[in-house]
Amino acid sequence: MPAPQDDPDLAAYPDFVVVEHTADWALRVYGSDFPALLRNAARGMNSLLVEDVSAVGTDVAVRLALEAFDRESMLVEWLSELAYLAETEGLIFDDFDLERATPTVLQGVIRGGRAPALQKHIKAVTYHGLEVVERAHGLEATVVFDV
Amino acid sequence: MVRISGFKRLNDYLFEIPPSFRADMRVPARFYADDTLLEEAMDGRSLEQLVNTATLPGVTGYALAMPDIHQGYGFPIGGVIATELPDGVISPGGVGYDINCGVRLLGAHASYDEVAPYLDTLATALHENCPSGVGQGGEFRLDLHQLDQVIERGARWALDQGYATEADLERTEEGGSIAGADAGKVSDRARSRGRDQLGTLGAGNHFIEVDMVDEVYDEKAAARMGLAPGRVVVQIHSGSRGFGHQVCSDYVKRFHGSVRRHNIELPDRELVCAPLSSPEGQDYLAAMRGAANYAFCNRQMLAHLIRRSFEQALAGKVGNHHLYQIYDIAHNMAKIEEHEVDGRQVKVCVHRKGATRAFGPGSPALPGVYRDIGQPVLVPGSMGTASWVLVGTEGSMKQSFGSTCHGAGRTMSRRQARRQVQGGALRRELEEEGIRVRAGSLGGLAEEAPVAYKDVDRVIEVVHNAGIARKVARIVPLAVIKG
Repeated sequence: MPAPQDDPDLAAYPDFVVVEHTADWALRVYGSDFPALLRNAARGMNSLLVEDVSAVGTDVAVRLALEAFDRESMLVEWLSELAYLAETEGLIFDDFDLERATPTVLQGVIRGGRAPALQKHIKAVTYHGLEVVERAHGLEATVVFDV
Repeated sequence: MVRISGFKRLNDYLFEIPPSFRADMRVPARFYADDTLLEEAMDGRSLEQLVNTATLPGVTGYALAMPDIHQGYGFPIGGVIATELPDGVISPGGVGYDINCGVRLLGAHASYDEVAPYLDTLATALHENCPSGVGQGGEFRLDLHQLDQVIERGARWALDQGYATEADLERTEEGGSIAGADAGKVSDRARSRGRDQLGTLGAGNHFIEVDMVDEVYDEKAAARMGLAPGRVVVQIHSGSRGFGHQVCSDYVKRFHGSVRRHNIELPDRELVCAPLSSPEGQDYLAAMRGAANYAFCNRQMLAHLIRRSFEQALAGKVGNHHLYQIYDIAHNMAKIEEHEVDGRQVKVCVHRKGATRAFGPGSPALPGVYRDIGQPVLVPGSMGTASWVLVGTEGSMKQSFGSTCHGAGRTMSRRQARRQVQGGALRRELEEEGIRVRAGSLGGLAEEAPVAYKDVDRVIEVVHNAGIARKVARIVPLAVIKG
């Protein structure tokens, strides 16, 4: 979806959209601020991993503490952590209590549960063309996943 | 933006973008293609990605793209560059997350006529014995000591455990055990991802396929590999699983600091790199080799499970149910090799990202059985279409750093393929053609539909006519097992 750059109305934007990529999967993610961008990116990735996120439990809570060096690297660290938990434990998280979410530090508790089945394997979250850009409506980034 | 007009035609199958195209290019960018494949490549960002690889510090000769090029992340898939030692860079993105993703080809002693009545049973046995799908663990759970052995010794560990033969290792690139791997350069998280995934196929475009030799083009080379029309073979396409993915992720993160320290300007952050002479460059090389060994061992363990499946399905029903190894090659790897560049013999780090090593006759890196015919090159087509066995040539040594194509190459996005193809209908179509399909996910099956890929026969014509590989045999599918 092309982002109308001069549209200040955040409500006009979805949280994320899937964009075309020949070999892999890509998401364009929007957020009113950086924590919102992180949450929406996670939900976008969930949409690739499971068919119905509402079928996932809410009985697992994990405390996270991540470090990075800028907004892009924090976005990659965050999604990589969630992809790792999905691959190794089959866990999907949809509730994000982020106490601190800056480009260099993320602390918080995520809640979710075991997915009945994963429909996609995300090998890695890449930096390809990744840039968190400021728009009139907030922040935007396009993330390419290696699948 | 790269346009057809930006290319100079060097011959019928080779096009070049000169360094004057973009100020940051250090060498020309070359693309092996015919006119149709050149036109198809204009759709998407793969050629821009090729140009980006021509900017990396230490890149020498030219940046290359094979006819199966398609858009990747950082490097294009189907890309080859060589960086000159000692100070040229190594880039984890130039290898990919699935380090040493590759193909193994096994030959059956039984003929198609013998196997045909039992194909359904065989396909089911393969699906049941060879774990596939997302994050799927296998039956070979390793303790940390065993895992370190796999990292440093590769398929040789499998030999010690009774899962391989000496002939299997002899007929594997690097003998299935690349030197210089160091388990100490691998993170705990990579270890945790690697412990239970040995002997598993994974998801995405990975597969096991039972095939039949359809046509032979080089009698001598085919006979050396035991290939003749009607012979049954098995392809394994898999890599280093979560272990390799984590090694790549770890070093992409670490190399961001190297890029800053060494003042390297990059057109794309996924191209992060470090000089091979730097401590971090050497650390990545040692860790990448560990992941490469994991992948060689993974395909070896899968071969063991495939042999078990053949025994279960065919023992006592065919004359000889055993499988022998034809070859095993990597198509995501960085290797230190010597090549001639501008009349000089230089030591380089050849990055092959979705490209296959294709050493010509006489190379000391080849086992005795293949030294006079050239290295076997295994090129899987898209699901349900033909695959190819080629050999490396003198031309590949002179032109392409001993490299050639690795597959058909995608033309359609996964999303578009899901919209256009219905997985269940595709499975029925394949089965109507006599191809048995065992797949974990119908959506995943749709993403890999043949319509989403280039015509592999056209890709092969290009590398054959360009002289960077030679046709040996064309094989067609009988049964496909996917995650």
